[in-house]
Amino acid sequence: MDDSDEALMQRIGRGDEVAFRSLARRYLPAAVGLARRILGNSAEAEDVAQEAMLRVWIHAPRWQPLARFRTWLTRIVVNLCFDRKRRASWITLEAAGEIADRSLGVGEKFEAEERERMLAAAIEKLPIRQRSAVVLTYSEGLSNVEVAEILNTTVSAVETLLVRGKHNLRRTLKDVIDRDP
Amino acid sequence: MTNDKFDKFLARALKYRPHEAQENEAISERVFRRLAGSLPPQKTSFWHWPSVLLDGQFSIAWPRIAALACCAAIGFGIGLAGLERPFGQTYSVSSVANRDFSSLLFEPEPLTGARP
Repeated sequence: MDDSDEALMQRIGRGDEVAFRSLARRYLPAAVGLARRILGNSAEAEDVAQEAMLRVWIHAPRWQPLARFRTWLTRIVVNLCFDRKRRASWITLEAAGEIADRSLGVGEKFEAEERERMLAAAIEKLPIRQRSAVVLTYSEGLSNVEVAEILNTTVSAVETLLVRGKHNLRRTLKDVIDRDP
Repeated sequence: MTNDKFDKFLARALKYRPHEAQENEAISERVFRRLAGSLPPQKTSFWHWPSVLLDGQFSIAWPRIAALACCAAIGFGIGLAGLERPFGQTYSVSSVANRDFSSLLFEPEPLTGARP
């Protein structure tokens, strides 16, 4: 039996729950990962992933294979993340992170972890569209064309978002970058 | 740091770590278990129905049989009522009985004036 995304979506469109579970099993981890990267919060990412998969099920009869399924799902996840970010959010313990204990050891590993933590914090401060463009490009490895399709914009607008996003990151991470010329 | 180095730094730092993948899997498993329950009804497009009726398959399917039954019922109703009659007068026996057919039946022949 053909188990490509498109074939599964055809079956889901006819109300096949087994096909839906198969597709959910395939794409849930990626949806959760992307939502966590954009939102910086596991609990909200879990809700977004569940809502995204339910939307796939509900709208499957209307789905047309004009774009790849993965692109469509990514678009749903990103839009749901935008909706979440528009609402006021609580600062979670997870977002606050742990206080670094410098007495435990000073070395390259610590430096690298510290740099990544600062980068994560800097990304979280970016405006949501810049953040999405940076995450989709560098974390998901998507091309500018794909990112433009997901963000429902043009390739040049994506390039602008990336340039501004990286400029903001460089400004926030100035100390870290200066240490490593 | 040069642009290329900064790009590489971003790509390296934003790559999924093994522990992140494990956490994603754990969250996915929870979501998957919730999705295993009853799913909400799907939204079907209006254009779904013409395609069901016109897909050229002659196998028995409930939508086609239901559509056929509806068409038959509508046709039967129109056949009984007639299309020229106002809706309020449909199935009205008295409206037929009150008609004065005498002038139609016993009209004089126009040329000769002869009555039947």
